[in-house]
Amino acid sequence: MSKNENKGPKKKSKKYILISIASVFLFLFIWWLYTDVFKAVPANALPSPIKVISTFFIKFVETKPEGATMLQHIFSSLQTTLTGYAIGVAVGVPLGICMGWFDKFDMFVRPIFDLLRPIPGIAWIPVMIVFFGIGLMSKAMVIFMTALIACVVNSYSGTKQTLNVHLWVGRTFGASNLEMLFRIAIPSAMPLILTGLRVALAASWSALVAAELLASNRGLGFMIQQCRVIGRPDVIIAGMITIGGVGALLTYLLKLLEKLLLKGRKNI
Amino acid sequence: MMNNRYLRVFLKIFSAIISIGAFLLIWHIATNGTKLGELMPGPIELISSLIKSTYTNIGKYTIIGHILFSLSRVLIAFTVGGVIGILLGTAMGWYKTAEAIFRPFYEMIRPIPPIAWISLAILWFGLGEIMKYFVIFLAAFSIITYNAFAGAQAVDPVLIGAAKMLGAKDSRIFRSIVFPSAVPYIFAGLHTAISASWATVVAAEMVRASEGAGWLIIQGMEMNNMIQILIGIIAIGIVGLLLSIIMRGVEAKLCAWSKSGK
Repeated sequence: MSKNENKGPKKKSKKYILISIASVFLFLFIWWLYTDVFKAVPANALPSPIKVISTFFIKFVETKPEGATMLQHIFSSLQTTLTGYAIGVAVGVPLGICMGWFDKFDMFVRPIFDLLRPIPGIAWIPVMIVFFGIGLMSKAMVIFMTALIACVVNSYSGTKQTLNVHLWVGRTFGASNLEMLFRIAIPSAMPLILTGLRVALAASWSALVAAELLASNRGLGFMIQQCRVIGRPDVIIAGMITIGGVGALLTYLLKLLEKLLLKGRKNI
Repeated sequence: MMNNRYLRVFLKIFSAIISIGAFLLIWHIATNGTKLGELMPGPIELISSLIKSTYTNIGKYTIIGHILFSLSRVLIAFTVGGVIGILLGTAMGWYKTAEAIFRPFYEMIRPIPPIAWISLAILWFGLGEIMKYFVIFLAAFSIITYNAFAGAQAVDPVLIGAAKMLGAKDSRIFRSIVFPSAVPYIFAGLHTAISASWATVVAAEMVRASEGAGWLIIQGMEMNNMIQILIGIIAIGIVGLLLSIIMRGVEAKLCAWSKSGK
């Protein structure tokens, strides 16, 4: 954003905001024109924007057509995601740090981790369903696998990037290996660990949608899947907006946490 | 010094063999004749059926055929997503009007996981190929656009100033300065995007397909055939790894100047 300052005076920025607003309204207007006025597309493929917005609000109180209100779906999805995510973080971050810090541990764990790493989290869905059925557990395990990999990768490279100078200073002052890990390596790995938490959360949220599309009886992914079957695109779009909104909100909360924890750093 | 390096490589390989060997051994013991073994095949059984699946058909094709099916879907959609993403991203990064017009839509679409589009895509395009192309396209497109956009914004203002002073027009600056300096960012985006596209094709095929890697594992689940699921997962992992290695190789070749400049 800053680079454009050399392109023109600042008062022009108002003009661009107007263009943005105009383009969004034009888009909504054309959408409305095609669906409500001309009826050019069948309503069971693309509902009008007004219908989507009204459905969005109605879904908060109405359980039709698939049996739960929006809030119940959100709650169920969040519960699954956060369960799997919390376990993934609790295992992944310490594992990544240990792999980054203890060379001998790294030598033996890394090969196995490298085998698992290229497998996308959602590919575990069938395995977990066979093992745990279609309840909370199977989806939480899929999310655990997804979150684990992002957490390990980032904590690992964060710990590996500890500056040697800092370690030398620590050693000169007689710090033990563990002291150096907790006082030097982990604090300096913190930004990358937190990035890992953010990446893992976004990946978890997307894996959750995939898992719920395939096997569940509650949740946002289930909602859009059911409404596809009964042909209610207005609910699908409302659901997608909710999925996007909740995902963005979760990312935003983690960014706040990042700001809070990394107060000392100016570049964040 | 030389000796030390060889010793390190040797130790690395040695420990890898030991740890993977121990992993397989525990797996073997845990599944051999135990209750878990009824649900989960042992490593020997799995490897032999993985080899067998390369020449016998599962469903309509061999495992290689399924992988090629998924790969062709990814490559088509990824190419389209890449071209559009690079153009849109760099244009948004350089032309403020383009940014004003397209950025709001992009920011609205970006937080929605591509997988969440599957339901809508089925309603729009039916159950066929176009639905899958569309979803993979979205996965590749959103990542690449983001990186191209960031790359175009991170151009060194000194270069732009110099070009302007020498009388270059806006479009000329875009072509000969903004675009080339965004290339390393774009390649980082392509790298992330190919992995994301590969995961997305698996998801799309799991929801609805009659061939492909995702179909393979979901079919295994429906038939309660753990071996089929696991060889599918292994194949998916190997291809994902290969795609990532190829992308890194291409990046190292084409962006050698930026790497050496750093």
